[in-house]
Amino acid sequence: MDDTTRPPRLGGRGLTPVSPRLVPARYVASIPWWALSVLLAIGCVVLGAWLGWWWMHLLALVPILWCLPGLLLTPRRVRALGYRVGEEDLTFAQGLMFRSVTTTPYGRVQSVEIHEGPVERRYGIARLAYSTASDDADGTIPGLTREEAEQLKELLTRRGIERMQSL
Amino acid sequence: MNAPAGPEEAANGPDGSDGSDRSGGRNDFAPTTRRTHPLTPLLTGWKIFAGVIAVIAAQNLTQLLEEFTVRRALLGVGALAVALVLAVAFSALAWWRTTYEISEDGVTRRSGLVTRTGLTAPRERIESVSVQRPAVPRLLGLAKVRVEFAGGSDSFLDLAYVTSRDAEAIRTRILSVAGQGKVRRVASAADAAAGGSEAPGSSDRAARGGLRGDLEKVVLDGVTEGDLIARIPTTRLLHAMLRDLGWLLGLLAGVLWILVTVVVAWRTDGVGVGLLAVVLPALLAIQQAVLRRIEGGWGFVSRDTDRGLRMRRGLFSTRTDNLGAGRVQEMRLRRPLLWRRPGWSDVRVSVAGLGDDDTSDASKVLPVGTREEVRRTLGHLLPPLGTDDDPQLLERLLSVPARDLGGIGPRHRIFVIGRRTRRAFLLPGALVLRSGIIAPTVQIIPRERIQGLTLTQGPVGRMTDSATLSVGVAAASAELAGVPLADLLDIERELRQDAGSGRRYRDRASWAVPPLAPRAGSPTERGGSVGAAPAGDRAPEAETRQDRADSHDAGGRP
Repeated sequence: MDDTTRPPRLGGRGLTPVSPRLVPARYVASIPWWALSVLLAIGCVVLGAWLGWWWMHLLALVPILWCLPGLLLTPRRVRALGYRVGEEDLTFAQGLMFRSVTTTPYGRVQSVEIHEGPVERRYGIARLAYSTASDDADGTIPGLTREEAEQLKELLTRRGIERMQSL
Repeated sequence: MNAPAGPEEAANGPDGSDGSDRSGGRNDFAPTTRRTHPLTPLLTGWKIFAGVIAVIAAQNLTQLLEEFTVRRALLGVGALAVALVLAVAFSALAWWRTTYEISEDGVTRRSGLVTRTGLTAPRERIESVSVQRPAVPRLLGLAKVRVEFAGGSDSFLDLAYVTSRDAEAIRTRILSVAGQGKVRRVASAADAAAGGSEAPGSSDRAARGGLRGDLEKVVLDGVTEGDLIARIPTTRLLHAMLRDLGWLLGLLAGVLWILVTVVVAWRTDGVGVGLLAVVLPALLAIQQAVLRRIEGGWGFVSRDTDRGLRMRRGLFSTRTDNLGAGRVQEMRLRRPLLWRRPGWSDVRVSVAGLGDDDTSDASKVLPVGTREEVRRTLGHLLPPLGTDDDPQLLERLLSVPARDLGGIGPRHRIFVIGRRTRRAFLLPGALVLRSGIIAPTVQIIPRERIQGLTLTQGPVGRMTDSATLSVGVAAASAELAGVPLADLLDIERELRQDAGSGRRYRDRASWAVPPLAPRAGSPTERGGSVGAAPAGDRAPEAETRQDRADSHDAGGRP
């Protein structure tokens, strides 16, 4: 990724990327889905061969196609994630095709949580979820290293108290 | 839940003296446990009974009619009678085990036959108290008190049913308990709030007096004190309904549906009971749509009191609500095409913590108002927009076609409707969005209330160099869709600053207040009133602050 030659993505430059360990973590986490899709595809093929319905083979393509974007795009999707700890607010950007950039002021944050699934724990990463009174300002940052997540939580809580705002 | 259990004495209601003193009795009422009115089981039992009947009838009506004999009918009636008695008996038991208590800590209701449940509306979280009088209880002179407190979606507590007189007394009492909490928390304003907060209404009432005054008080459910903000004559309400094209079209569709189904049924296999199952929902929907408009606007009065806006509405079922200016997160003005000539519009607000469970009438602070009434309502509920002449601006936004308005909005040809109808304006006090063709709508979001921003761009946006900005406030959100990216980024930068610095607790002395609100000079007092957004639903740190304040005060409590 040559970040300097391209026009800047929505959200601007200077975003802190999340840990690259999120890529294998996402792959591992989606193994059950792939297995299911492959089983479905095999089922379709077998059924098609058994009944002599040729179009069942086409149907087998559907679960495979459904898996493909995740398989191909996960690294790019993870690289598209990023956050920025600003003076007054936290910015979180995500998405390749549909990009969204959420800005949440520290003073509005009502709760901060760290989530850690079994796969994430294996790779030493965690998710940080924060919420405000409005759905438009909530967010979940995946793929933070555990220390990063703790630091960020600490920061959100501390600045939240300093700059506490009413509804 | 954690409130100390009061002495078990089942009185039938607060004695008369509680109702009259609003400021005097702040500290000296003992927390007593009470039951609701003894007629309650009849009312609730009837509901259960009716529900059972409706279910049985809906499922087996045809069969029942086909196999009709007198003997069966008698048996059926007997069974129903037994069911009715059982339902009422069950409700009576439930009533017997339900008690409520208004103490210094808030309002607590305990209920449950075997498993006792205690629901507490903590004092510092109580946002408002409304008195509702559904049609049947109203005939018996009963009412329901709903205490709304900050919290999740189901954050209300009903005290049903009490006599109308008690309801008013309970309302005042809960408000005074809640007011105490606020005053305590906003310590700097404590002295200002505790003293002269009562005076205005009483002399006014004395002056009016007489039979006419009494009658008015009964008709208006006691909403006769304070400055009149708006009052809707019945003729205006009916006119407004007939002139609301969108609503009429919906109604017409319903009627057409019924006619078509009846004719089709007639032509094919005669009119049977099966037809009823098709027509009934449509009939109910029509009746709902009409009734809701009527109940929402009939006899509507809003007045300015020291607890914020006090509204009364309803024909068969009536309700009175309080709305503090501090609770309004967002406001929407709507003017259907045919309301343009008389200059009417309706005003709806979004309030944090008020769920959508009640038929959303409560959020209409003005069902159909003249320009002057709109101006007064806005003046009492919204901080100034920051232009030279706010009402003039809003009037312009509601009546002038979007393309003549300026402001920012969709430009690209692909947004066929959007670029002709949607405009956004960033004013010093608020973000104002205009949209709609059949019913131009103006959405006002005070800049200090913005919780956060989300900027999104999809493939279409990249193609047309535009994006969408969602502006979130506590109970609603606004969207600027398809706006050129450059404009949007400018506005986003400004709004981001507002979101980060609006309504900070540490500068609460300078929070914006509505221009017409009483005692506009002391915003903290205003913030300290029941209507203000409480710290209660803020982050955990707000809790600790509250706890500290409480423990500090604990020594001084009686």
